[in-house]
Amino acid sequence: MRKMGIVALAALAVAALAGTAAALASKQDSTTISGAGSTFVAPLVAQWTQPLSQAYGFELQYSGIGSGGGIAAITSRTVDFGASDAPLSPDQFAACKDCAQIPWALSATSVIYNLDGVKSLLHMNGSVLARIFMGSITKWSDPAIRKLNPGVVLPDEAISIVHRSDNSGTTYNFTDYLASVSTQWKSKYGTGVAVDWPTGSGGRGSSGVAALVAQTPGAIGYVDVAYTLQNHLKYFTMRNRSGRYTTPGLKGILAAASSDQKPAKDNSLSIVDPPKKYAAAYPISTFTYVIVPLETSKAAELRKFLFWAVTKGQAYGPRLLFQPIPKPVLVVAEQTIKRIHPSA
Amino acid sequence: MSAVEAPFEPARRPLSGRRVRVGDRALELVTASAATAALVLVALIAWKLVAGALPSLDRFGIGFIWRVAWDPTVSKLYGAGSFLFGTAVTSLAALALAAPLALGIALYLTELAPPFLRGPVTALVETLAAVPSVVIGLWGILVLGPALRDHVEPVLHRTLGFLPLFGAPNAASSSFFTAIVVLAIMILPIVSSVSRELFLSVPRELKEGALALGTTRWEMIRGVVFPYARGGIAAALILGLGRAVGEAIAVTQVIGGGVAVHANLFATGDTLASKIAASYQGATSDLEIGSLVYLALILMAFSLLVNLSAQLIVRRISRRGPA
Repeated sequence: MRKMGIVALAALAVAALAGTAAALASKQDSTTISGAGSTFVAPLVAQWTQPLSQAYGFELQYSGIGSGGGIAAITSRTVDFGASDAPLSPDQFAACKDCAQIPWALSATSVIYNLDGVKSLLHMNGSVLARIFMGSITKWSDPAIRKLNPGVVLPDEAISIVHRSDNSGTTYNFTDYLASVSTQWKSKYGTGVAVDWPTGSGGRGSSGVAALVAQTPGAIGYVDVAYTLQNHLKYFTMRNRSGRYTTPGLKGILAAASSDQKPAKDNSLSIVDPPKKYAAAYPISTFTYVIVPLETSKAAELRKFLFWAVTKGQAYGPRLLFQPIPKPVLVVAEQTIKRIHPSA
Repeated sequence: MSAVEAPFEPARRPLSGRRVRVGDRALELVTASAATAALVLVALIAWKLVAGALPSLDRFGIGFIWRVAWDPTVSKLYGAGSFLFGTAVTSLAALALAAPLALGIALYLTELAPPFLRGPVTALVETLAAVPSVVIGLWGILVLGPALRDHVEPVLHRTLGFLPLFGAPNAASSSFFTAIVVLAIMILPIVSSVSRELFLSVPRELKEGALALGTTRWEMIRGVVFPYARGGIAAALILGLGRAVGEAIAVTQVIGGGVAVHANLFATGDTLASKIAASYQGATSDLEIGSLVYLALILMAFSLLVNLSAQLIVRRISRRGPA
């Protein structure tokens, strides 16, 4: 239902935009900051609209049109910022001309299942999960799964794989994890918002995946974490590199994000399967990004807005299961924001 | 009109003729520009589609149409083959399923049903057309899909399993078959309400004449109603087919996705429309977006082809005239 909520929010946002368009026309144009992109981060951005208007008098307009649309919109400069769940590819960076991406929100993906008579929080690890999704483990009673769950009676049932049929940041996060724990997955299917799945059925949106899993006995799927908790689905605890089994809660996400991995030169930052010493880390966590032009006529406003978003704005996250971004990432984000300058 | 106006506006009479002509001119202008606007719109859409598909057109050329591939991550190869196949299979099968039902409903409502039933049943069938496709899709996932998987697919597989069409059922409830049934439900009201109107337009004298000659009801329907409405029925079926070809949301919800051409109706796949609906929002690379727009271009050409052939069929059938 979360995805539907987002759609409803987006629809509301559009209606609100249409309604306020006339009012805005009379206002100073420079106080409007427009953005487009990721639907995943849309509920968080929606939370920011009111406080931003109070703090700076900014009118924040965001359309959740999907990450790809957001990248296209900022590339053609029809908006002031774009938002994407997957980091830009080198080609996209080149096309966007002098753009920077900044990690500005943090969440995770959970792996759900439907097994009658088996409790929630079964144990799972990366290599077994990758083998399941590649179709080489086909039964719940497979020794590999049994070995992770001593003392649990697993039925001799076929595993039905459910994945997203639409492109999504959740799929990016999930395949990023599979690729980092399985070289075979990496070379054959790779990491992306959609991949050429070896097997399984697709559901549209998190709600579609959850529905398919819910009425398919023996099914396994993945959805974004807020969705799992709101809908009381059964989900796995994932074994991280320290050997601990962790749940996809705020604590696990924070632990994964506070690993000392530095953002790459382009600010992209993959935090799946973090090193051993982060014992509490949930291994399928992810950042999502805002994409801005470094040279813009609205430099001052954009800087104010982004500083606010990565600091005060983060406080609106936990309710929606977005963990506030950790200090080292915040530092990098602020450094990048400072580079935004007015056009000559 | 002037006869009525004359007593009230005698002074303006000389002008009134010209005024009417001005009005006619204005009407012509307004309607002509409306018609042109429609044309311009189609042309603009087509132009925009070609422009948007350029990255993919450049890279893959015409071979895109039959290549079976969609891999945005590793090989970065795209093609429309499996989606064209999916569109053709689901829409034709849905039509085959819906057509007899729809004609049956229309016949019952016009010829056989007791009068007190006709109103309510007609209203009910037409309500079906008003159900939003996203709702039908949701019902498809939650109710229809599991029901088909548990009760219909195993039976078909057991009895007709020797046909490759009815292979092993998919454990998850999404499949071509679910999509076909959902589409059949969606096109049923259009086909049945258009055919009902057609059957109503068959002159009463013809029908009564046939009955008076001692034909049974079925003979009358076969000999009078069907031949009279032939062209219209073909048009109604094509209308239904057009709807099935273009339906995206409900199909995306129940078809399960995937890139493969297979005979098994119980496996998953995608249609052109469902693939566009599923992937466009989150597409990230230029090549993938271009390829999706290329799919849209193919879908538009496909629909145009269906429409044109429909008009040809209708014209040919009606030229033969009622028997």
